[in-house]
Amino acid sequence: MPFNGKSGKFNAAIRTVEIGTGDKAVKLGGENVLPFYTFDAPIENAPKIGVMITDMGLENEVAGIKDYYNGCTSFAEIAKKAEEMPGADFVVLRFEGADPNGENKSVEDCVAIAKEVGDAITAPLVIEGCKNVEKDAELFAKVAEALQGKNVLILSAREENYKGVAAAAGLAYNQKVGAESAVDINLAKQLNVLIGQLGVDQGNVVMNVGSAAAGYGFEYVVSTMDRIKAAALSQNDAQLQMPIITPVAEEAWSVKEAMASEADMPEWGSQEERGIDMEVETAAAVLASGSNAVILKHPTSVATISKLIKELV
Amino acid sequence: MAKFVVIGERLSTTAPAINRAFTERDPEPILKRAKQQLDAGATYLDVNIGPAENDGPELMKWAVELLQGNFDNVPLALDTSNVAAIEAGISVYNRAKGKPIVNSADAAGRIEYIDLAAANDAIVIALCNGEGIAKDNDERMMYMQTMMERGMEHGMAVDEDMWFDPLFLVIKGMQDKQMQVLEFIKMISDMGMQSTGGLSNNSNGMPKHIRPIMDSAMVAMAMMNGLTSAIVNPNDLRLMETIKSCDIIKNNNLYADSYLEI
Amino acid sequence: MALKGLDIFKLTPKTNCKECGSPTCMAFAMKVAQGAVDITKCPHMSDDALATLSEATAPPMKTIKVGTGDAEYTLGGETVLFRHEKTYVSKSRYAVSVSCCEENMDAKFEAAKAVDYDRIGERMHVEMLYLDYCGDCDAAGYAEFVKKAAESGKTLVLGCTNVDVAKAALDVCKDSKPILDGADASNYEAMSKLATEAGVVLGVRGADINELYDTVAAIEKLGNKNLVLNVGTASIKDAFATTVQIRRAALKNTDRTFGYPSIVNVGKLAPGDAAMQAALASLFTVKYGSIIVMEGMNYAQALPLYGLRQNVFTDPQKPMKVEPGIYALNGGDENSVCLTTVDFALTYFVVSGELERSGVPCNLVISDAGGLSVLTAWAAGKLSSTSVSKFIIENVEPKVKSRKLIIPGKVAVLKGDIEAKLPGWEVIVAPNEAVQLVKFLKDMQANGEI
Repeated sequence: MPFNGKSGKFNAAIRTVEIGTGDKAVKLGGENVLPFYTFDAPIENAPKIGVMITDMGLENEVAGIKDYYNGCTSFAEIAKKAEEMPGADFVVLRFEGADPNGENKSVEDCVAIAKEVGDAITAPLVIEGCKNVEKDAELFAKVAEALQGKNVLILSAREENYKGVAAAAGLAYNQKVGAESAVDINLAKQLNVLIGQLGVDQGNVVMNVGSAAAGYGFEYVVSTMDRIKAAALSQNDAQLQMPIITPVAEEAWSVKEAMASEADMPEWGSQEERGIDMEVETAAAVLASGSNAVILKHPTSVATISKLIKELV
Repeated sequence: MAKFVVIGERLSTTAPAINRAFTERDPEPILKRAKQQLDAGATYLDVNIGPAENDGPELMKWAVELLQGNFDNVPLALDTSNVAAIEAGISVYNRAKGKPIVNSADAAGRIEYIDLAAANDAIVIALCNGEGIAKDNDERMMYMQTMMERGMEHGMAVDEDMWFDPLFLVIKGMQDKQMQVLEFIKMISDMGMQSTGGLSNNSNGMPKHIRPIMDSAMVAMAMMNGLTSAIVNPNDLRLMETIKSCDIIKNNNLYADSYLEI
Repeated sequence: MALKGLDIFKLTPKTNCKECGSPTCMAFAMKVAQGAVDITKCPHMSDDALATLSEATAPPMKTIKVGTGDAEYTLGGETVLFRHEKTYVSKSRYAVSVSCCEENMDAKFEAAKAVDYDRIGERMHVEMLYLDYCGDCDAAGYAEFVKKAAESGKTLVLGCTNVDVAKAALDVCKDSKPILDGADASNYEAMSKLATEAGVVLGVRGADINELYDTVAAIEKLGNKNLVLNVGTASIKDAFATTVQIRRAALKNTDRTFGYPSIVNVGKLAPGDAAMQAALASLFTVKYGSIIVMEGMNYAQALPLYGLRQNVFTDPQKPMKVEPGIYALNGGDENSVCLTTVDFALTYFVVSGELERSGVPCNLVISDAGGLSVLTAWAAGKLSSTSVSKFIIENVEPKVKSRKLIIPGKVAVLKGDIEAKLPGWEVIVAPNEAVQLVKFLKDMQANGEI
């Protein structure tokens, strides 16, 4: 009796959300199978990779990243170089410095950087905030306004500020809205409902359902994504059929394994290599669990994950 | 597990306004009621055109096209004793949102409805009845077996496309049989089969304000025992809230604070 | 695997003869499904039907044991495809491959031992060696190589499709219960015989998933069900498809021919590419790789990988706990400020990570809170003024001179009680979120408060 591989194709599908404009616009989602299960049905839109740059420049980055951007003196140049990184599909500008508990950059300064970056590149742009809900709400509204027509993804609206963020990004300025919940499936669904009730077309919403570096409670990430995909595909839950984007770089590069110096941990070997592997392995794991896009920063990670995706889809 | 399937019962010739609309081919009252039911959360709509002895096929075609055309191919249960009308309805039916349901077969005079459903790749509601109401669950099971074998003979996926109806009994008159019906639902569920039925029959004859309460209690107990669908009035808010809540408790639907609104 | 009444009903004669004591075959089937009646009560069940039933009630995936002593590992035995459904029972095991004609063999064996550390009570190391037969060495040469590898104490996987060579190798190592990963469509009879006689697990491979399936079926027919399935090295896409499909066929579609653990050789899928091997090892740890073979394992690859495995294979019912104690960070000593939180591993990692980022020397004091998060532990009475003060008096006061204790912001209410129970201590309330600790501590340091 030959092997009878029953197809695991679903009748429901993840929504397709397009970010950016023109030739370089990318489509996220659209699949009706579990991650990389191309043997069940073709996956039209392979998962995408965003390259993260920040408003803090390159000072705090590891040597390999500094080398890659060597010679770049402005945000425009950095952004340009980011979009050219082999394997990159889009650019992510993260406003780390906007944090009131950190550099506390003004909204005007951030908007200027966003404009500079937006004008410099043709690849789609994703905007990440500083995680301070009040500051982000203010910042996102202004950035969404300044980048009208570029179809950027604003990352992201959270429970505390979704009204302002989603209304500005999704309604007033016609950008794409990221809905962020921290490994809480019920909240993930609820946020999508609430954003929908504001009048934002659900086809304009992307989810960030939370992440963690491998080893740091990653089981919650796996199960959150597994359950969301199960609800979306097998229960046809329209409120969870948004594609998922997962910021990996910021988690991966801020854990001990990536940060401990070689002086402190001589047996661990190269610090940069540790960061890369943390980024690569975390990215591979979130993609295997259902992310439609990952945000990375090291050129080696981007190249490796890009190759992995090409091999699998 | 899949969500509970609510089949809206309000498009029926037993309602004078709908009966007249069917007879006069007046779309407006039909569309209005269909929309009310769908807005309230019905998945399927039951289209009960009565015996329609004179113009059954033509009427059913009209109704199917009217409803599917206006409501994005809403899936329908075709409910009539007129076999030709069901066939005619299926002939114009669009399956994009779900197979048609043939309502209904039993283990006696209407067993051919199973053949009809099998021949048309439709779902069939199989009433666990012979001639008259079964006296106990052994008898119900006998009827169920008879119908299941019939479905299997035709190669039906009996665990998906035969929805067994235990026959809900009226409390005022058969109060002592209620637990039996619930136990039978459990048996259907244990067999791995689907179930449905005219659930609000249990509250027949009760004061109007009592019925939603009794129906809600019945649906909760029946869902606990594995009922997978019911033919009900989706505009009964209390009932629908109960069904949605039970779907959450059964993990058929992922909880969100707004679950009652979606 | 519980059978539905319907599955049993389909096997009954459907005659309603009542000889079993039930009024109908349907009623009988249901009682069998509920476990209320034994299937043998029906005198008319055919042997075929009984065989089908006993097959159907067997576990969907075999539990395979390899190695001996400390190096004995259990593979397979899974019952679910997703960890939230129940729990995964057998974690992925990592192997490093070495070839018999490897020039720096000793260095390779040594390198395979390099990674060895403890993470939340679990030893993290390369558990197995995958011993590649090059195809040219003679049987004695390969056996010699295997013998040398056995000195590592790691569980051996013999990657060898040559029957004679395999036999020589098994002669020197079979008592350590290696895996003989060498059966294919052309040699399976001899290989299966060899493995059975030596009492070892047999690895099976195929040119594609269908050949793999047919070969496994043929080996099972010979009576050998002590197998692992090599998913092949044709391509990454193919290896992933095979790994997922065999697991799904076994668990979801109860196709027991594929009810065995898997071997994925990511070293061969991405030779020379350490970063890609790391990515693949991660992918197959999340998705159904039982043994994952890499060309090497350094700390950079291992740290995320073993952490990931520890997370994915954790029992959702049992929280991961760190040992209670005083953890000195950033060169903290007896004069450094103390901070306390719970022993829930995730909390510990998050808090210690932020403390390390602050660069402020400190002592992180972890007391036993039942492995619960801060608020849960507090609500359950496992993190209380009593538990904290008792731990401080018994374990901290003898070792630490500092008398400043920072408690989690979420249990600010404990401040007064802890101060009352810890005379001489100043209790300071931290911010609510760990991420705010960096600024909090740096500010304290700048203000000379610590």
